[in-house]
Amino acid sequence: MNADARGWRMALVPDTLINPRTQARAALPNALEVLEACGYGALQLPPAGEHGLLLAVIADQVAEYAHHGYAVVAIGVRGEPGGGLHWRRLAPLLRHRGVPPPPRFSLRPDADAAAEGKRLAAFLSGYDLPLEEQRRWRV
Amino acid sequence: MEQDAPRKVAFIANCLFNQNAKVCEGARYRGLVNPVVEALRSRGYELQQLPCPELAFAGVRRWWAVYEQYDTPAYRAHCRRLAQAIAPLIEQHLRRGDEVILIGLDGSPSTGVRFTSSKPDWGGRPNRPEDDWDIVPRRGVWIEELEAELARRGLPPLPATGWALDMGRFDEAGSRRDLEQFLDSREIAAGSRGHDVSAGAPGAGEPAAGEPAAGEPAAGEPAAGAAPGAGEPASL
Repeated sequence: MNADARGWRMALVPDTLINPRTQARAALPNALEVLEACGYGALQLPPAGEHGLLLAVIADQVAEYAHHGYAVVAIGVRGEPGGGLHWRRLAPLLRHRGVPPPPRFSLRPDADAAAEGKRLAAFLSGYDLPLEEQRRWRV
Repeated sequence: MEQDAPRKVAFIANCLFNQNAKVCEGARYRGLVNPVVEALRSRGYELQQLPCPELAFAGVRRWWAVYEQYDTPAYRAHCRRLAQAIAPLIEQHLRRGDEVILIGLDGSPSTGVRFTSSKPDWGGRPNRPEDDWDIVPRRGVWIEELEAELARRGLPPLPATGWALDMGRFDEAGSRRDLEQFLDSREIAAGSRGHDVSAGAPGAGEPAAGEPAAGEPAAGEPAAGAAPGAGEPASL
């Protein structure tokens, strides 16, 4: 019997959601709590700055998941450059690896954090690959 | 400004944030390993996820493996590339005086900190559950290469421990106690130094008491140190 507990779903997550500074902490939902409750893993993006090689490594990993039956989404933060996801660098890296852009959710720091948390949870809970794709890989 | 104050930063094994990275039959959680996340966040650590070397090298459908199977020139070169990708972020934190620690995955052939899995004669088709392997006090290949890259940059080895997920029969409560003990011993040490959290900065010297220096896993038994058991994948 396969006792493996993996959830087959994960989210690209900006550093600012995992390590919010004081001001952002009050304005944003606790993304890790929401991911945990929804059974998602996290692929953390680095903080702002030049991280070309690290982004390429992350893109390699996303491609491996995306090509083998895993559901990958992206959680951005409105107002952050590239949503905090280094999107201008990451999107072409994914494209070059044959990965379509993951479904993307944008958190609004100017909205109520609790309501945003619920909106995020609804998005995460409602997303997965089509059933035939799941059956192909998830045995 | 809080932004400029020294921070506490934990670089954590990739699969502690994403159990989908584990080798087949090796995931114990759906996604996050929440006890690790909680233990670190409740103590004020920022979290940074390390890349997963095995996933990017052998893929998500890889066989389980032991240290000796990954101890190859090609895999070490791959790990060096990953180390070059993440080391600038580690260096940035160390240079600004942050306290930086490393949480690996004990028992893993790649990410083991205090212990890795070993069986020099393993090879060919896996034969579970008859296959057996040993747990030996040694870094995994990825951690060895990461530490070598930090050393090339003139940085000290990071104080480190491992979440004992790949030690055989997994004991979550024991692993949690083990991790909390490591973290609390650092708090006590920092307190005795007058809350000087920059003790891990370049040139600051030794890892905290009770932690192995680079390449010298701590002696003694891990909290979850059951012998490898049937049905427990050894690999990351």
